[in-house]
Amino acid sequence: MKPIVVESLKYKYPGTDALALDDISFEVDEGEVIGIVGKNGSGKTSLSLALTGLIPHFFGGAYGGRVLVDGLEVRYSSVTEISERVGYVFDNPFTQMTAAKYTVYEEVAFGLENLGLNREEIIRRVEWSLKLLDLEGVKDHHPFNLSGGQMQRVAIAGIIAMRPKILVFDEPTSQLDPEGTEEVFQVIQNLANEGMTILIVSHKLEKIARFCNKIILLHQGKLVDFDRPQKVFSRDDLINYGIQPPIVTRVCRSLGIRDEKSGYYPVTVEEMRKLVKQNE
Amino acid sequence: MNLTLYVERDSIIHKIDPITKLIYCLVAASVPYIISEHMFTFFLMLISIALLFIGKVFRKMIPLYLLSMFIFITIVIIQGIFHPDNVTPLISFGPVTFFKEGLMLALLLILRIINMISAFGVLILTTQVDDLIQSLVKKGMSPRVGYMIGSVLQIIPHMSSMVSTISDAQRSRGLETEGKLSTRIKAFFPLIGPVIMNSLIATKERAIALELRGFNSRRKKTFLQDDKEFLFGKPCQLILILFFIGMIIWRILQ
Repeated sequence: MKPIVVESLKYKYPGTDALALDDISFEVDEGEVIGIVGKNGSGKTSLSLALTGLIPHFFGGAYGGRVLVDGLEVRYSSVTEISERVGYVFDNPFTQMTAAKYTVYEEVAFGLENLGLNREEIIRRVEWSLKLLDLEGVKDHHPFNLSGGQMQRVAIAGIIAMRPKILVFDEPTSQLDPEGTEEVFQVIQNLANEGMTILIVSHKLEKIARFCNKIILLHQGKLVDFDRPQKVFSRDDLINYGIQPPIVTRVCRSLGIRDEKSGYYPVTVEEMRKLVKQNE
Repeated sequence: MNLTLYVERDSIIHKIDPITKLIYCLVAASVPYIISEHMFTFFLMLISIALLFIGKVFRKMIPLYLLSMFIFITIVIIQGIFHPDNVTPLISFGPVTFFKEGLMLALLLILRIINMISAFGVLILTTQVDDLIQSLVKKGMSPRVGYMIGSVLQIIPHMSSMVSTISDAQRSRGLETEGKLSTRIKAFFPLIGPVIMNSLIATKERAIALELRGFNSRRKKTFLQDDKEFLFGKPCQLILILFFIGMIIWRILQ
């Protein structure tokens, strides 16, 4: 069973005329890391919210098509049910803190208390999450006394402690400095290594190119492309969708360095180096 | 950063069950209204102050007592001079005469206020908010109400820091926020607008975050914190409730 199946998804926010999501269909395999790109207003966040069930349950609006996460049809399931399968991390680390807990340890345990897990299981999961996110050193700190990057890692820890199979990151580093950004992407890499299925919305295309197996390109609520980063970033019409490919791809395009077999340009420095060596 | 007034001390009062302290607080604050006797209220006040001493937190109450002085002076002036039952002049300062009946009532009101502040001090200064909320939720209070109480104490300081950031941002764009009253009133709307908008956005985002962490789950909530061993829970609560009922009966029989 595929962890994510989206079929002809259409969605309109209440009080609006335009479709925020227009006939979107795609499937994601287990353990894949998918980047969602597109310019502002292209439907990236709406798609993320649709995967978590917040669309339509929290936002309302007109909804059509089907979204299945881990076999559960989002439309007919509660957000709490979905939250055990899909974790969602968004841009603002501050508002993701409950503001009702006094230590990082308690903060991470919050969701597990709500799910009614027994104390031993809560402790086991909290300690696993703290270790995975390298937060053991700050477990007794107040969440609001941490840096932005650390706070975002606490938010992720609180979500992954609930053991979702799928994680959706909606611009998780947009409010972070380069150090915090690197911290968060490193965590995403570690989670991907654990076999989680991950979707990341981000404008940081260098990072997307480095970490993702596939990319969803959205424009005006429509799915334009869903393929490997090399193929998507090699599109000649990318600029029409408000996307600048990673700098490596642009340099390679201008120098004519590309994979002869596929015809695609490299998207990371490593790929470029490999191609240059092959051509020597 | 939070608004809790809890003071960490090693005292027997800190080890008493939060629910017991809450009941004490409610009984101590309400009984002086059932039995309107000066000596009785004074005695209750002494008990609350003694509990503050035993809890090693009395010093933390001094600013609160000092702050209440303004209210006390107001009560003495209003009741002492203007109370409708005033008939017996006690002391005069020029044309102003203080009456015995009014001053006695003022004294009773002041004793009640000190008693109430001290009783709440016993609860607030010696009890961690988390422990109190957890105890109340276990007794059947909605976890949502518990969350509301717990989060307000942390969110308010952040709102105040947000006001300061917005105020700086508006000042940097030429808004006068200091000086005459009229200038301050003019500056109020450009400041309060962004504060409200930011708060609404933050509230919506936090609601989403809570929803995704099972806040609305119908399952029975569990707790990370093990049940703490508190002293004298049930016997103290029983004594307090019996005392309260006894006072009501005594008042009815009088």
